[in-house]
Amino acid sequence: MTQRRAVPRTDESRLADHAEIDRLADDLVPALVAKLAASGLGELEVREGDWHVRLRMPRGDVTASPAPARRAGAPVRQGTSGPGTAAPARASATGGPGPASPGSPAAGERTWDASPTAGGIRAPIAAPHRVPDEHVPRPRAAATSPAVGIYRPRDGIAVGSRVRAGDRLGVVDVLGVPHDVLAPAGGIVGGSYAEAGEGVEYGQELVRIELAGEASVTEPTA
Amino acid sequence: MTVSRVLIANRGEIAVRILRACRAMGIGAVVAYSEADRESLAAQLADEAICIGPADARRSYLAAASVISAALVTGCDAIHPGYGFLSEDADFAEAVRAHGLAFVGPPPAVLERFASKEGTRRLLASHGLPTIPGSEGAIRDESHALAEAARIGYPVVVKPSAGGGGKGMRTVRTPRELEGALPVCRSEARAAFGDDALYLERFLPENRHVEVQVAVDAHGNGIHLGDRDCSLQRRHQKVLEEGPTPALPPDRREELRTRALAAIVAAGYENVGTLEFLVDPDGAFYFIEINCRVQVEHPVTEMLTGVDIVETQLRIAAGEPLRVRQEDVRIRGHAIEMRINAEDPAHEFRPQTGTVERYLAPGGPWVRMDSHLYAGYEIPPYYDSLLGKLVVWGEDRDVAIARGRAALDDLVLDGVTTNRDFHRAVLDSEPFRTGAVTTTMLDRVGAAAFLRSPRGT
Repeated sequence: MTQRRAVPRTDESRLADHAEIDRLADDLVPALVAKLAASGLGELEVREGDWHVRLRMPRGDVTASPAPARRAGAPVRQGTSGPGTAAPARASATGGPGPASPGSPAAGERTWDASPTAGGIRAPIAAPHRVPDEHVPRPRAAATSPAVGIYRPRDGIAVGSRVRAGDRLGVVDVLGVPHDVLAPAGGIVGGSYAEAGEGVEYGQELVRIELAGEASVTEPTA
Repeated sequence: MTVSRVLIANRGEIAVRILRACRAMGIGAVVAYSEADRESLAAQLADEAICIGPADARRSYLAAASVISAALVTGCDAIHPGYGFLSEDADFAEAVRAHGLAFVGPPPAVLERFASKEGTRRLLASHGLPTIPGSEGAIRDESHALAEAARIGYPVVVKPSAGGGGKGMRTVRTPRELEGALPVCRSEARAAFGDDALYLERFLPENRHVEVQVAVDAHGNGIHLGDRDCSLQRRHQKVLEEGPTPALPPDRREELRTRALAAIVAAGYENVGTLEFLVDPDGAFYFIEINCRVQVEHPVTEMLTGVDIVETQLRIAAGEPLRVRQEDVRIRGHAIEMRINAEDPAHEFRPQTGTVERYLAPGGPWVRMDSHLYAGYEIPPYYDSLLGKLVVWGEDRDVAIARGRAALDDLVLDGVTTNRDFHRAVLDSEPFRTGAVTTTMLDRVGAAAFLRSPRGT
């Protein structure tokens, strides 16, 4: 029999992934839609870790329905359907994708993320979404872990640091081999989702970045 | 080595199977999954689950460093590789050990010793097992191959030294065919196993595939757990397995089992393994290869003996002596396993994907379904097509067949096309009922002939 260690990756990690999808649908995509509408550009693409979100402006329609966001390599995964996992994150348009959303089960408790009732009917990730102009949420991105290993943030990277796209924010150490954690976009470091020395999984969000640009100079709503 | 918390570095039904063994033994289990398996049953049932990489197996289930890193990050002290992927990779097993973890399988040196099929054949021949006449060592070049083939006699089978499952394998009837096959087999072997060494064997046209399950602990105690017959194959892929083999009378079966065990213990094997043999129409058997891992068809043996093979693997990896002596092993009745695959038997067994709309496993006495399915599960397109294994037991072969037929009808599985109808047709077919199936029969007569058989559905 084993003493169960307090380990970093539990159900929370899965919830965090669900939250990430919710965040893309509720936070980033509407913000990008607003940006696209204001810019007069025909197409806009954002890359963030493994995610690509590409928006294309249909001619003559301002409230475009954005293309579904997809995680590279997992096209089957269209959305999240977890009862008790999706709802709390969706409720707040500007709240960060905190790993412990209300209603999240305790570590070790099993969650039937794809229960028979929910699993069959999956909402597309980015359903047509009307964004009132006065409520443009602040766009943000997250640097994600390139591998499973131990997270070591770079010295000098802290909340408020200004970073450019491609900047190294730290490494994830895989059996002694460092893998770079890169900023997916330029902006201001808004927070960290993992501690130095913490074990992290592939694709896990590590650093939150408030995106640079017009949207980020508006009054923070959070 | 202690084994108190196991990282399961595999997916699908075998990940669930290993997880259940850990649960029953009261040890912790962490499931390592790729992004495509985030919603998998194993990941959801596990004490903990950790994403090790993207859907591409080379960057997840085959990425040795990621798997070991995941075990360290989650506080595991052992890694169970399941079957396929890294399960027989000696370098991986060595790296696992170097990081202070137990590898649930043979020690690296043992995997190394049995890594080459050609070398294993010679090793076990030296310990008294008959082998098929074949090339002396690996094929060096074309002229060497032609000379060896002429000596062995056509037709010959070209086989990769490193692998199994029919990849890189060709039967050739003439020198010209051999010349054409060599580069194809080499490139297939390189792609599938990272090793393009080939050897030749005489082709035996009408044979049965019979294998012996063994378990050897770290103290040199070995037992066999009977045999299985996997003659029903499609393009070298097993479709249905049963035990004991209907191809041999009891005394010959016993001889096969005891000789296999004696040879493998003498050769210094450790942990659970399977020795595969071809049995010719006269009942002569020839050793072909060893599988140094748990096999897909292990439940057949579990139904026959009551010995939990995954538990046995874990205990041997922890250094424990075997709990069962040979004289305690009782092989009772007959068991049949049907591989339920997401493939369309009416269209060349084309792989299918889709979302499982309804799923209910068959039940009742002596019926077992090992599967990772649940209603709502989306079958990822990246991996093999195995959806589950329906295993039945009966006091004799006829009873097992009848029970298998009923269990196939009991299975509720909507949303994905499977080979279920094919299994029905097989169980009803004359060749299967009379125990006359050979390894090439299905490819020769075609699945359509089975599906159209007069006793078919």
